[in-house]
Amino acid sequence: MDTPHTSLQRRSLLAAAAGAVALTHPLSVLAQGAEEIVIGGSIPLTGVFAFAGVGINAGMGDYVKMLNDAGGIKGRKVKYVPEDTGYKVDVSVAAFKKITSQNKVNLYYGDSTGFSKTINPELDRNGNILMAGASFATELNDPKKYPNQFLVGPDYTEMFGILLKHIAKEKPGAKVAFVYSDSEFGRDPIESSEAMAKQLGLSVPIKIMTPAGSVDVSTEVIKLRRAAPDYTIFHGYILAPIPEFITQGKQQGMTSKWMGTFWTMDSSTVMKMGEAADGFMGVMPYRYYYDTEKAPMLEKIRALRPEYQSTAYIQGFLAAMLFTEAAKRTLDAGKPLDGKNLKAALNSIKDFDTGGLIGVPITISGNSIPVGRVYRADMKAQKMVAASDWIKL
Amino acid sequence: MRIGTLKETYIADAALFDSRTQKVWLAVGAALLVLFPFMASDYWLYLACLVSINVASATGLNILTGYTGLVSLGQAAFMGLGAYTVAVLETKVGTPFVLNLLAGGFVAMLGGIVVGIPSLRVKGLYLAIATIAASFIAHFIFANWKFTGGTGGLSVPPAKLLGMALDTSFRLYWLIVPVTILMLLGAANLFRTRVGRAFIAIRDRDISAEVLGIPLLRYKLLSFGLSSFYAGVAGGLWAYFFRVVTPESFPLLMSIFFLAAIIVGGMGSILGGILGAVFMTMVPELLKLVVDLMPGGSELTVFLSPVRTVIFGLLIIGFLVFEPHGLAEVWRRVRRFFHLWPFRN
Repeated sequence: MDTPHTSLQRRSLLAAAAGAVALTHPLSVLAQGAEEIVIGGSIPLTGVFAFAGVGINAGMGDYVKMLNDAGGIKGRKVKYVPEDTGYKVDVSVAAFKKITSQNKVNLYYGDSTGFSKTINPELDRNGNILMAGASFATELNDPKKYPNQFLVGPDYTEMFGILLKHIAKEKPGAKVAFVYSDSEFGRDPIESSEAMAKQLGLSVPIKIMTPAGSVDVSTEVIKLRRAAPDYTIFHGYILAPIPEFITQGKQQGMTSKWMGTFWTMDSSTVMKMGEAADGFMGVMPYRYYYDTEKAPMLEKIRALRPEYQSTAYIQGFLAAMLFTEAAKRTLDAGKPLDGKNLKAALNSIKDFDTGGLIGVPITISGNSIPVGRVYRADMKAQKMVAASDWIKL
Repeated sequence: MRIGTLKETYIADAALFDSRTQKVWLAVGAALLVLFPFMASDYWLYLACLVSINVASATGLNILTGYTGLVSLGQAAFMGLGAYTVAVLETKVGTPFVLNLLAGGFVAMLGGIVVGIPSLRVKGLYLAIATIAASFIAHFIFANWKFTGGTGGLSVPPAKLLGMALDTSFRLYWLIVPVTILMLLGAANLFRTRVGRAFIAIRDRDISAEVLGIPLLRYKLLSFGLSSFYAGVAGGLWAYFFRVVTPESFPLLMSIFFLAAIIVGGMGSILGGILGAVFMTMVPELLKLVVDLMPGGSELTVFLSPVRTVIFGLLIIGFLVFEPHGLAEVWRRVRRFFHLWPFRN
C-alpha cells in the first residue's frame, strides 16, 4: 500500500505531467472558432520601446473591439492576440511561434526591424500571414524581398523625402544638415536622402553621427554651427540628444530650423524637450489626437478614450484598420485568407478614406504609404500644429 | 536507495558517468530529447533550440570563468564573430554548414586568444573591463566593414543537409541539440584531463599553479580560446537559427546574460551552465504563461508585463542571496536527499 507521502508525490508528478502535456499541446487551436480572423502581435510592452508598445497595443485592441461591436468582418469576429517582447528579437520570435502555434493567425504585427527581417523567411515559408509593424526601415519597403509585409506609413527615406520636399518649397537651395544615431535605425535613410536632397537643389554641408541617446554633444554642436545649416534633420533618436543639440545650438547663435522623424514626433515626446524646442518641426504620417480638422475616426477615438493618445496608438489603430480592410477585400473576392491574397487585397487599396487618421485618401501600391505632413511644435499651446499640407511622394 | 558507490579501479574512479542509476537517467533523458520534437509545438521547439544555443555559449563561459577564474564580458562578441563567419561563408563562399560552424568556432577562438592576452597582467574586474573592449571593437567592425553588410547585416540562407534546407525549428533541432550535446560532453571530459586540471589550479591560486609548473600564459590563453570556440560555434548556430545577423544582434547585455546564467546556474559546474541557461531563457517565458492564465485580457497584460520583469529580477537576486552556489547546488542537494532517504532528510 502506498504511504500518504508517496501517493502525494505520485499525484504531484501526474499533475506536473498533465501540465506539461497541456503546455506542449496547444488545445486552444482546437477550441478556436473556425470563423475567427486572428491578428497576432509581438508588442514591446516592456523595455526601451515600451512607450510606443503600450500605445500600439491599445490602438490595435480598440479598433478590433470597435469592429467586433459593429459585427466583425462579414459576420466573422476578429481576435487580437498580443504578447510582450521587451523589444528583443529572440523573445519576439518566441511570441510569434507561441501565437501561431496556438491560433490560426492571418495577420501579424511585429515590433522591430530586426524582427521583421528575422521572421521574413518564416512568413515566406508559412504563406498564411500578412505582417505589418512598428518599423519604417527602408529595406522593408521592397515587395520582392518582403512580399508578405508592409509599413503603416512612409519608410524612413520617404520621411526624409517629405521633409526635403517641404524645405525645397519653403527655401529653395537651402543647406540641410543630417544628425543621426550610430545604429541601423539611424543610418537607414542617410545615403539615399543625400542624393534626393541634391535632386531637389538642396545641399547637405554636414552629416553628424552620434551614439544613440548620447548626452555630451558639445563638439558636434560646434561642427554643426560651423556648417551653418538652414535646416537640421535629426533621425534615429527618440529624444536625447536632440534637446541638447537645440539648446546649445541656439546658445551659440544658430538660426537653423530643427526637424525630426516619426519616433521623435509624438506630442508628449516633443513637449518634453521644453521651451528650447519651440518651433521644432518634423514629419508625421498621421493626424494628432487633438487635431481639429474633420476626422470621424479621431472623434470615435476621443469618445472612447478622453485622454491624449500617442501617435503610436494611431499607428496601431491604423494597422488594425488596414489589416482588416485587406481581410474584408479578400473575403469579398471569395479568396482564402493567405498571405498572398491578403497582400494583393491590401495593394488594391486606392484612395482609401482612413476616417481622417491620415488627412488625404491613401493608396498602397507597394509596401509603404508614402504620405505625410510637416508639423511644428507650439510650446505655448503645448500642441503640434500643421506646418504644411499633406505631401505625397 | 543508494548510499555509496564502490570503485575498484582508477578508470572507474575517473569515469564520466559513475553509476548505473546515472546512466539509466541519462538514457531516459536522451530518449526524451529524441521524442520531444515529435510531441512539442513549434513554440516549444523554438525555445528548445534557443535554450540549446544558450547552453552551448554558457558552457563556454563556464570553462573560462567558472573553471579558470577569468571573468569575461566578451562572450556575446565572440558569438558575433562566429555568427558573422558563418554568415559570410554561407552567403559568399557556400561551404557546407559543418565547415562553417567549425570556422566560426576557430575565428572566435583566435579573437578570444587576442582578447585573453591581458589576462596575464590583470584579473577580476580589470579583466572584465578589458573584455568589454572586445564587444566595442567587434561591434565597430561589424557595423563599418562592407564585407559584413554594415548596419543592415547579412541574411543567412538555411543550413543544408543532403539537399534538405534546415529552415524549421523541427529540422534545426536535429542540428542544434546534438552539437550542443557534443560540446557538453567535450567540456565534461576536458576536466578529466591535464588541461582541465590546470585550469582549475589556475582558478584556485594562479601563483601556486605556476610554482607547480603550469605555464600561466599558455593555459589562460587556451582557456580563452576554448571558451571563445564554444561561443563561436554557438554564434554560428544562432546565425542558422535566426537567419539574420546584424551588429545589434550581439549587445553587451547578452554577455551579461551569459555571466548571469553561470552565476545563477553554478560556476565551475557543467550542470550549472546548463541549468543557468535554461533558467535565464525559460523563466521569463514561463512567467508569461502565468500572466496568460490570469483573466483580464490585454489590459491586464499591459499592467503585468513590467511586474513580470520585476519578478524575474527578484528571482535572480533571491538565488544569489539564498543559494550562492547556484541551481547546480540545489540539484546536488536534491540528489543527496534521495540517496540518503529514508535515513536522513
